[in-house]
Amino acid sequence: MIEISNLTFRYREGAEPTVRDINLSIPDGTFVGITGAAGSGKSTLTYAINGIIPHCYPGDFYGSVTVDGLDTCEVSLTDISRLVGSVCQDIDSQMVSSVVEDEILYGLENFGVPKDEIEGRIQEALDAMGIVDLRDRSIAGLSGGQKQKVAVASVIALKPRVLVLDEPTAELDPASSVGVFRLLRSYARNFGTTVIVVEQKIALLSEFADQLLIVDNGAIVFRGTPPEVLAHSDELLEIGVNCPRSTSLVNRLRAHGLYNGPAVCNVPQAVEVCKEVLA
Amino acid sequence: MIEFKNVCASYDVEVPILKDVSFTINDGDFLAVVGTNGAGKSTTMRLVNGLLKPTAGEVLIDGVPTTQLKTSELARKVGFLFQNPDRQICCNTVREELMFGFKALGEEGSQAQARVDALIERFGFDPQAEPFLLNRGTRQLLALASIIALEPPVVVLDEPTTGLDFRECSKVMDIIAEMNARGTTVIMVCHDMEVVADYAKRVIAMTAGQVVADGPTFEVLRNRDVLARTHLLAPQIVDISLCLADECEPLRNTAVARANTLNEMTEAMTAAAQGEGSR
Repeated sequence: MIEISNLTFRYREGAEPTVRDINLSIPDGTFVGITGAAGSGKSTLTYAINGIIPHCYPGDFYGSVTVDGLDTCEVSLTDISRLVGSVCQDIDSQMVSSVVEDEILYGLENFGVPKDEIEGRIQEALDAMGIVDLRDRSIAGLSGGQKQKVAVASVIALKPRVLVLDEPTAELDPASSVGVFRLLRSYARNFGTTVIVVEQKIALLSEFADQLLIVDNGAIVFRGTPPEVLAHSDELLEIGVNCPRSTSLVNRLRAHGLYNGPAVCNVPQAVEVCKEVLA
Repeated sequence: MIEFKNVCASYDVEVPILKDVSFTINDGDFLAVVGTNGAGKSTTMRLVNGLLKPTAGEVLIDGVPTTQLKTSELARKVGFLFQNPDRQICCNTVREELMFGFKALGEEGSQAQARVDALIERFGFDPQAEPFLLNRGTRQLLALASIIALEPPVVVLDEPTTGLDFRECSKVMDIIAEMNARGTTVIMVCHDMEVVADYAKRVIAMTAGQVVADGPTFEVLRNRDVLARTHLLAPQIVDISLCLADECEPLRNTAVARANTLNEMTEAMTAAAQGEGSR
């Protein structure tokens, strides 16, 4: 369980707080999607969960963030990282090894995982990301998409209670992006791991996330299930968040008085609405 | 005009990346090259700007093989926007960055200064800002502006919208569309099929180092067979249109089954719902 109470944070060099007055509780096993315009404070919000703030970036931190009851300000970054695994936006900055297997091994050894567990963990992580065949490959020779999967696998191997990913599919093609989101959702469901994803690809978030958080100017302005949030497509557009086209179509049909149901999140749902409208 | 004649290319002789690829890009085209990670898209782009030479076949730019052109000659003809703007930003201020290309070509006169001033105004940059302190979207715009500065007849864009929010993405793409409208040939690799649908006039779909389809944007994106072979997802409105045509026989000859854009689909659905028979 993640509990955020009255969180406000201003970077030391910032004139204004980057996130302000955030109150949020995220139950275990929830798949949370966070989106918003560039500079809205999405990444900073995740930094409060994985302890990057206040541990790495100094500034004024008000309020509290607890993960599994541990206050992220009071425990060390090492202790937080045992609970919260993070995948950075810039994958290259996270890679430390030259071969895929070593990359996964690095975290496991650092966490002191017993030797007899290691092989199983590596296998499971490679399997979860569908990259068993990359195990012996040189990281320098991998495509951006493959590297992204390796980065996620190396964090999954540590079995964190919470997984925080900043734009994990930025370099992936559409099919691989869907693949990663599907894996993350089933990972959240099967292991009860809380998955928090910052992403610009709203269509993916809408289809896979249990909860959507829309951040604007440091505050959470919309929260709820994807249909609840996506019903506000016009207001979202005003703050620089575009809805999936399937959602926009159905919202327009509603505006034309042709449909009166909830917002949709994906193509199959939109097709059903269209059929209903034409029936 | 850019011609690929039976081009093969590889980084390692034992792993061919492009296999006998032939196509022609005409002046003024707005071409999107789509396909999964590892399909050979970026390799194709590197062949256009001469970073890579073919192992067999020829790449001709205005009739001259790239093997006979110096990098400096190619740079005047083909501007290249890397996927990650940080790979090409190298100066301490925005102004220096915009002047960099002129400097490299030994053309720092008043004409170059005036062109840079105009770009600073058009993009709304702070000329003294440090590029690496700008946010990702602004860095992307800066990298794009530094290419536009030289006014090359051809621009090659590798994933120009990755990591950008909706507003930044629209801004970058609108500027690219404007360049194309003024005659610049645009060749972009893009994973975002909505961006492809909104902006490209022609699509080349690749898989495993070969061209699977080449044609007007929606001709390619509405072709289920091509989509399946290249593991691509249709843009959402096209997908909805194809599904409705498949599942509802009476709709097959209506505008619903031909709609490609949100406006077209809204109009077609409204007409169909009101029983106007949009045949």
